[in-house]
Amino acid sequence: MPVRSFQARLLWLIVGVLALLEAGTLISVHLAGQRTLQKSVRDELHVGANVLDRILTQRAGQLSESLRILVRDFAFRELVASGDVPTISSALENQRKRVNAGAVLLVDLDGNVKADTIEGRMAGRPFPFAALLAEAQKNGEAHAMISFANKPYQFVIVAVPAPQPIAWLCAGFEIDEAFLADVSRLTTLDVSLWSSTAGLISTLPADERADLPAAIPQKQETTLRLGNAEYATLVHPLHTGDNARVEMLLQRNLAKAREPFVRLELTIFALSFVMLLAAVVAAVIFSRSVSRPLRVLAEGAGRVERGDYVSPIVVDQKDEIGQLATAFNQMQAAIGAREEQIIHQATHDALTGLPNRTLFLDRLSQSIEASKRSGESVGMIMMDVDRFKEINDTLGHHFGDQLLIEIGRRLTLTLRQSDTVARLGGDEFAVKFTAPTARHATEVASRVGTIFDAPFILGDVSIDVNASLGIALYQMHADDADTLMKRADIAMYDAKKNHTRFAFYEPGRDEHSLRRLALMMELRQAVTRNELELHFQPKVEVSRDRAVHAEALVRWKHPRHGLMRPDEFIPLAEQTGNISLITKWVVRRAVAECAEWNRVGLDLSVAVNLSALDLFDTELPTFISGLLSEAGLPPSRLVLEITESAVMKDTAYALKVLRDLKRRGVVLAIDDFGTGYSSLAHLKRLPVDELKIDKSFVQNLTETATDDLVIVRSTIELGHNMGLVVIAEGVESQESWQILKRLGCDMGQGYFMSPPLPAAEFRKWCERRAALPEQAPGLAAHPQRSE
Amino acid sequence: MRLVSSILFLLATPALLGATIDAVVRDGRSGVHDAVVYAVPEGRPVPPPRRAAVMEQKNRAFIPHVLAVQTGTAVRFPNLDDVQHHVYSFSPAKTFQLPLYKGSPPNPVLFDKAGVVTLGCNIHDQMSAFIIVVDTPYFEKTAANGRASLRDLEPGRYTVRVWAPEMRGEPAPASVTVTGDERVEVSFNIRR
Repeated sequence: MPVRSFQARLLWLIVGVLALLEAGTLISVHLAGQRTLQKSVRDELHVGANVLDRILTQRAGQLSESLRILVRDFAFRELVASGDVPTISSALENQRKRVNAGAVLLVDLDGNVKADTIEGRMAGRPFPFAALLAEAQKNGEAHAMISFANKPYQFVIVAVPAPQPIAWLCAGFEIDEAFLADVSRLTTLDVSLWSSTAGLISTLPADERADLPAAIPQKQETTLRLGNAEYATLVHPLHTGDNARVEMLLQRNLAKAREPFVRLELTIFALSFVMLLAAVVAAVIFSRSVSRPLRVLAEGAGRVERGDYVSPIVVDQKDEIGQLATAFNQMQAAIGAREEQIIHQATHDALTGLPNRTLFLDRLSQSIEASKRSGESVGMIMMDVDRFKEINDTLGHHFGDQLLIEIGRRLTLTLRQSDTVARLGGDEFAVKFTAPTARHATEVASRVGTIFDAPFILGDVSIDVNASLGIALYQMHADDADTLMKRADIAMYDAKKNHTRFAFYEPGRDEHSLRRLALMMELRQAVTRNELELHFQPKVEVSRDRAVHAEALVRWKHPRHGLMRPDEFIPLAEQTGNISLITKWVVRRAVAECAEWNRVGLDLSVAVNLSALDLFDTELPTFISGLLSEAGLPPSRLVLEITESAVMKDTAYALKVLRDLKRRGVVLAIDDFGTGYSSLAHLKRLPVDELKIDKSFVQNLTETATDDLVIVRSTIELGHNMGLVVIAEGVESQESWQILKRLGCDMGQGYFMSPPLPAAEFRKWCERRAALPEQAPGLAAHPQRSE
Repeated sequence: MRLVSSILFLLATPALLGATIDAVVRDGRSGVHDAVVYAVPEGRPVPPPRRAAVMEQKNRAFIPHVLAVQTGTAVRFPNLDDVQHHVYSFSPAKTFQLPLYKGSPPNPVLFDKAGVVTLGCNIHDQMSAFIIVVDTPYFEKTAANGRASLRDLEPGRYTVRVWAPEMRGEPAPASVTVTGDERVEVSFNIRR
């Protein structure tokens, strides 16, 4: 958990640094203490040695002084001068007691002991301490440590002046433990005296003293282990009056000397521990004060992550964390605004500002969910602007965009607030509304349709626009939004195909769509499986009532669906890119059939429909030429029918292919004339020979249908004026046949003469026609709808 | 004063002039001041001393520090200070004391035995002087350069000795024989 680890890290950092510092302090204090201890012990020892020297010197001085006082005594001098040894001895003993000396001697100028206080044991012998005497002779007096009677003594010697020396007075004072205790008290050291002849006296405790004689060091300064204690030891040799070694040992018990340092270190250690505890407490408080707002920030970030852009972070601090919180809140608001914008962009159409497909589908789903509870119907209209591409091409994209915006605006105005208008893309709009009944839905659809009643005036252009509306209702046509949209789409295509403004979805149409999908897959194999066959429908010359052309119409003998008409699978072939395959098959079969006809004496041309896509195949003219020469059929026997809209698709390219075909002698015809929007100027440039009037104008042609009559008549006139052969499709009655005859139409095609027939039947039909030369053309006709 | 009297003496008795011993006393390199050089005639009696001598006490000091006298000379000890002195000697040649006194003691002290007499004052320890008592009239103290001349020596054989304060051990005496008025050179090296 990052928060915890931050807190822990901070804690460890502070504690670690502090512990390090304190450890450093302790170590340096300890080291300094050790050094100081060593130095102070050393200093103490040396000071002790100095003090000892001073004490000894002072004592010697005092002793000398007491002797000096004696030797200045005139009577004493007189006594000495007298040479009366017994008297002198008694005087010396008297003096010995007076100054508390161990022994007093009188030495004559020749260096012989003249009298003593030890019962004359030394009298008459040479003074044993020659060095002391020599020093006295040099300086007038002297003092030194001397072992005397196996005890350490401090001896002093002074001259007996008269006023020149006439003798030497010498006194010895024992160094005993009381003296050492005095020195020890003054120096706070343990003091021992060791002499080679007099042994050891010491202020050390008994057990430690016992170890000392064996441990007498050679070095001046050293540390001795005596008993259980360690002693810093200074060996201080004393000035001796003979050749014996006398050493003072000044010693410091190290454990005792260390005591104040140990106390100091313990105090510092305790203080360090207290400080460490305090630091831990402070670090915990501090890290909490940092981590708590951080946790609040993290929670805030979590809320933002979940999409909450409303609840701000509340950090009641004015410091950097407070600033961070403020910045965070600003960021939160900014992200919220941006996300809203992005969502809007993602769910709305940029051009019209209307909801897009995603949002529409979403709302549709919601409405459907809601209506599942309320029982209300949901309706949707799929709308597609007719000829929008042409409007765009002709008047420019900007105009097209403005038109779409205006359509969106009108739609929105027409509908209620609760309804949804969306632009799904291109010229496709969709409307969602609540519709209690199908009738109500029809009302909504017609209301939507009315927005196209008034012309659209954009800038200085006024234009009439129409649209196809497909309507589908929830519950009646679909159970979910996706299906509903798909079915509204199908309904829209139905409306477009039927040239009606709107159409309801017809149940079962969607199954048709599924079938289409399967057909798409199967179509490719249809050619190789030989499932295609040609039917032929004659075009009859109106004036001579004689079949001159036969239009080859492809049928698909589907293994499951039976015989299928081209409008069921040709668009599929166009979509799947198989049209060229089919066209080539059809042309090959038609040419072969036609050649057969000619061979058997039927004077007929064959007509084949070309798809718009075929006009993009530059190889097609060569292919056709090849087929014709292969079959030995003159090119004029082949008529290629191209729909008006196909020629309109890509004029320049289509023209190139058409001219190529024309140059090869093939006859070209415009099919379905009148349904497209080709201009006459355009028509004039097309290298065509024939014009086929669309059957929608012909099927209901009567003397009373004035509109159709006018169109048919003027088309015939137009065609003739342009030097074209005019053919009427969809001739289904005697009446229309007569009218065409009257209007001077060149050829007629339709059920009135014959439906499309399989090749064999068609040939029989031709034979029958030949047998009945003057018979009415509708003789063999069945009253069926043409395709 | 002494010089003047000597000159007078020389002028007065030119006919009595005899031999001279020129002595030099050295202490290592440098000459020793206030050393006493004396020549003792061998095998001949000497005339008794003709003059008295004086050892003054002035400014808490003996003057002179070294006084040489012929055996049998009486020495007076006049105290010229305004404090009392107690002059004493424990020397074997002459042990005496003049207890506390001012001015001149009524009787001089007779030094009738040859030797070194160390003088002290019982009141003032720093006061010290030496009286050298010799069995001959021929003696002299050395000057600062360590030289002294013994004059007017009658012909004969002499033992020449020396003494100096703080001298350690007496150097070997010199044996000198003079016949007329010749000058004889003698040198001593002493240790102190």
